[in-house]
Amino acid sequence: MSVLLRRNSSQLRLMLSSGGQVTRLSSSDGASTAEPPSAVKKPTQAKKPNTPPIVPDTDIKKSVFISQSSDVFTNLALEDWLYKNFDFSHHHVLLLWANDPCVVIGRHQNPFTEANVSRLVERGITLARRNSGGGAVYHDLGNLNCTFFAPRERYDRKYNLNIVTRALFREWAINAEINERDDIVVRNKKISGTAAKLGHPNCYHHCTILASANKLHLGESLAREPANYISRATASVPSPIRNLVDVNKSVNVAQLRSAVGYEYLRTAATALEDGGRTQMMKQRGFQLINPTEKWFPGIEELRANYSSWDWVIGKTPKFTVEKDLDVKGDDQGMKLKLSVEVEAGLMKEIGIQLPQSEQVVPVVTPLQGKPYNEENLNGIIGALKLVNASNVKQAMNGSV
Amino acid sequence: MTTKMAINAKDIFRNQHRLIRFIEQSIRLCSNQSLKAAQHQREQKASADFQITAQVDAQYTSAPEPIKHDQNVGHQFRASQLSVRLAAPEQLQMKPDSDEDLGFGRLFTDHMLKIYYHRNLGGWQRPEITPLENLVMHPAAKVLHYAVELFEGMKAYRGVDGKIRIFRPDMNMNRMNLAAQRSGLPTFEGKEFVQCLSRLLSIDSEWVPHTDTASLYIRPTLIGIDPTLGVASSDSALLYTILSPVGSYFKTGSSGAVSLLADPSYVRAWPGGVGNRKMGSNYAPTINVQKEAAAKGLQQVLWLYGEEHQLTEVGTMNIFMFYVNDQGEQELITPPLSGLILPGITRDSILRMTRQWGKFKVTEGNITMPQVCELLNQGRLLELFGAGTACVVSPVNRINYLGQDLYIPTMEQEKPVHELIRETLTDIQYGKVDHPWSVVID
Repeated sequence: MSVLLRRNSSQLRLMLSSGGQVTRLSSSDGASTAEPPSAVKKPTQAKKPNTPPIVPDTDIKKSVFISQSSDVFTNLALEDWLYKNFDFSHHHVLLLWANDPCVVIGRHQNPFTEANVSRLVERGITLARRNSGGGAVYHDLGNLNCTFFAPRERYDRKYNLNIVTRALFREWAINAEINERDDIVVRNKKISGTAAKLGHPNCYHHCTILASANKLHLGESLAREPANYISRATASVPSPIRNLVDVNKSVNVAQLRSAVGYEYLRTAATALEDGGRTQMMKQRGFQLINPTEKWFPGIEELRANYSSWDWVIGKTPKFTVEKDLDVKGDDQGMKLKLSVEVEAGLMKEIGIQLPQSEQVVPVVTPLQGKPYNEENLNGIIGALKLVNASNVKQAMNGSV
Repeated sequence: MTTKMAINAKDIFRNQHRLIRFIEQSIRLCSNQSLKAAQHQREQKASADFQITAQVDAQYTSAPEPIKHDQNVGHQFRASQLSVRLAAPEQLQMKPDSDEDLGFGRLFTDHMLKIYYHRNLGGWQRPEITPLENLVMHPAAKVLHYAVELFEGMKAYRGVDGKIRIFRPDMNMNRMNLAAQRSGLPTFEGKEFVQCLSRLLSIDSEWVPHTDTASLYIRPTLIGIDPTLGVASSDSALLYTILSPVGSYFKTGSSGAVSLLADPSYVRAWPGGVGNRKMGSNYAPTINVQKEAAAKGLQQVLWLYGEEHQLTEVGTMNIFMFYVNDQGEQELITPPLSGLILPGITRDSILRMTRQWGKFKVTEGNITMPQVCELLNQGRLLELFGAGTACVVSPVNRINYLGQDLYIPTMEQEKPVHELIRETLTDIQYGKVDHPWSVVID
């Protein structure tokens, strides 16, 4: 049984109206752009056939999907599956999910500047790369992720964030505000970060909510290996964060799930108007979602991609890492600088920058072409430290 | 042309079907290549003939007769009065990982539809959708004593475009109301009920997987809950519906065909009884017989009736036989609705569809076991299969009758009619073809 990802009816609608051919698809992105959270720009719409007819608010029904899985790759795959296959024209969905401890970086980020990848592996914390832009975050079961799905023309980030702040107020009387970077803050500390993916015909906006995350692990996980990184990848903007449980002791993820879900259901579809019980009764309610191949054919393939080395590490933009290296000598030591150029996650050029010179001498090592990580970097440094300073001077004098 | 030649020509013309069949059979005995050619030719012929048409010919379809409500039924419910109480996240049930642990009817969805009837409150009350919860009733409730109960079985399918469809729901509604009339239960407006059902399905739609072969089983039930022991009409009743995700109905045995126990000492229905109504009381007495069949290594029970050992039903399905009749033509036959037979909706769909095809004769007539044995001996029995909502068609390959095992060549046919029927019906049900029988509920 071939179970390719189907085109949903709204995609078919767009294709047919633009005179395109309807073929079976395997991935749907038209002009998908990852919007960095800091910029408040209108994304350019690459191709716009006919605008779909406006669906009145009363015809839009809402669902809250709660993922049964706590595996970050499975949940990312589920998010992707819904984005590519679901028809949201009459059905808006809020997906609520929580992950086992992991670090999630943005689509265009460099994991090595955001965290110490080797140490994450050591401590059993998964590293994942999501499909939307933005910065690095630490997830554990004390952090709730909310993904708001809608058709492209109904993307409204302010609406989504307000649902969260209203839910916090209604449930615990917590006063939360939305700052200019679209973070949700409580008493000047961040409790949520936001990222989005805008494509055709669907889009999603997801954000985190820190309820009772392990702050110690969070701090330790998002600390990178000390070195000089020259990288053009999107850098995270560190901000002081706070757990909601520090503000109100009774906050917990299960209750938060309920609160945000109910707030989403009781609010009108495109206007921030509370409809109370009558509005809620007209919706489709809560549903548990089991993200397996049986329920969502094609999801295993998506998961395999998210968990692959090629995606998590391999998609890292080219960068160079420089680390100081002290070489001992008979009389005095030498300060060298190790320089590693990493492309697509592999160490392309490994060299030593000699003192008082711009020249970088390539180092011959079997590690060339191998995957980069902090352990390998320190390994090279360790090996080079054994070199005697006088040998280096000799080599230098010979070459100069 | 001489007279003799003319007579011969006429003979040939009259018997051309037999001649064609003879030649085809001979081709079958020859080399592989010609065998393939014959198959190919037959397939082409078959596929061209059995084309699914979007319209159903008017003469082959007719809406079921509208139900006449009893005058003291009182007020009817309307779908516009529907109130909804959504399940909270803590009340939701986990969805299973795979089909292996699913079985049939073991797992239910998160919500249910409930509509009460109280004659003392004017009739049918407002329908409501609530989280799936237990029913509370008085110990004297009629359903518990006199089986004042009737039910329906239908399915919701997720079509190839992702939309959910139900198959000919008006037929189920009609059948339900006829059964209600017989049990002293109040009748209701089928159209309104189907609308309430659609709302329930849209709320629990994520219980239907997003594959193109999944379905959700719908079980509407009507029970009499009057808390008095008199054997009389119920003044109070409850019409409710629960939904169950289903994997495959039968545990896959040998190639999906089933073996039957045909024991004439057990009678499922009798003239003047309620064999033609879907009432719970018809099924309780069959459980022990099914156990006996299982003990003998057989999967279902073939229900026989009368001295001639008429075949009536297979397990909980209608029975069809495809054979070569006395005139040498292929014929599809099923027992008529004489009162002993449940008027199955799959049965009705098969009859209408095959009559429209016009490829072979379609009859509603009695089949007896002696007839089956005789046809089997002469090699004229081609296929025997059951038909029902749960599995569409269920081919039969063996019947244990009076201590003897009869082997039916249902699975040995080249292009089995039951396969064709199954494909056509599922294509309609899953929306691969646009057809008025398949109603989109979203």
